[in-house]
Amino acid sequence: MINRLEATRYLVEQLSDEPIIASCGNPKFDLFTAAEKRKANFYMWNSMGMASSIGLGLAMACPGRKVIVLDGDGAILMNLNSLTTAASKAPPNLVHIIWDNAQYQITGGQPTHTAGEADIEAIARGAGFKQALTVNTFAAFKEALSQILSQSGPWILVARTDSSKALGRPPKNPVYIKNQFMEALRSA
Amino acid sequence: MDWPRKIVSALKANDICSISFIPDAVIDRILKVAEKDPYFHFTTLAREEEGIGIITGEYFAGRYGVLMMQSAGLGNCVNALASLAIPYQIPFIMLISQRGELGEFNACHVVLGKALRRILEALGIQHYTVNREDELETILNGAIKTAYTSDRPVAVILSTALVGWKDEK
Repeated sequence: MINRLEATRYLVEQLSDEPIIASCGNPKFDLFTAAEKRKANFYMWNSMGMASSIGLGLAMACPGRKVIVLDGDGAILMNLNSLTTAASKAPPNLVHIIWDNAQYQITGGQPTHTAGEADIEAIARGAGFKQALTVNTFAAFKEALSQILSQSGPWILVARTDSSKALGRPPKNPVYIKNQFMEALRSA
Repeated sequence: MDWPRKIVSALKANDICSISFIPDAVIDRILKVAEKDPYFHFTTLAREEEGIGIITGEYFAGRYGVLMMQSAGLGNCVNALASLAIPYQIPFIMLISQRGELGEFNACHVVLGKALRRILEALGIQHYTVNREDELETILNGAIKTAYTSDRPVAVILSTALVGWKDEK
């Protein structure tokens, strides 16, 4: 099992100023805890499922730069149709990472359908993604990330994680979050 | 009937180059005009709600978008409007093809068609309805300006008085 915070820290270390969209739920807590001073982080406080769509729009509009989406299994299960749209548009700079701990961790750990039969990598391939990977260990995550960050996408990376909790909390003012993120995009 | 061309011209004049849509017969007429101009980028959505996210992401990078959908589609957008576009202050136009009012043949479009404006009002979203071609440019240009000065989504509703309705009984 992968520790999500450790993997988030490692990811940020591999990046420079590429924009990261962090889904509501735990991905935004991990990202803030890992890199609270990093300005190119967009923290979502709700709109569950929209991270994949925001990432697609951003990737299409800034084609020269990798765009990273940090999603959760519960969130992507709520917007599976977005995978068909992303695969159809197929921006080569889109990197969609899905932390899959098979549970709705933020509401108490109730199982999602990936605890049963659902397989997000298979769903992504069925939606039309040509490059989709699933990793179960931190070593495999690092190896996959090295490939993903050096090659054209779009990429789906499903990382099976544990459910440890990050303690950091990003700012709660949505307009502040947006302005800081857009300023980072403009000055990059 | 020149309303599709007038809509496309107004979008371009206001630097709106990205069109995210779920098609219907009305939107198809707009798309047929816009597709002739390489200025526009098109994204076919699988569900209208995606468009709120896509337009948000594009806006972050300085690209302006419009979401085109039927009135039924607004029902699929409510949480993304309420918890993303409005609190994060994302300005864009929703161009909504009205169902469920004048000339409707399908009872299953009537309920959301009637609720459309009250849903928008409950969300605090300004909306303007175009009934005649001669008011189209004023309303669309004005709605776009209001969206950008207020940093909010604004809805422009295309009435069947303007675009016609299906002759199915």
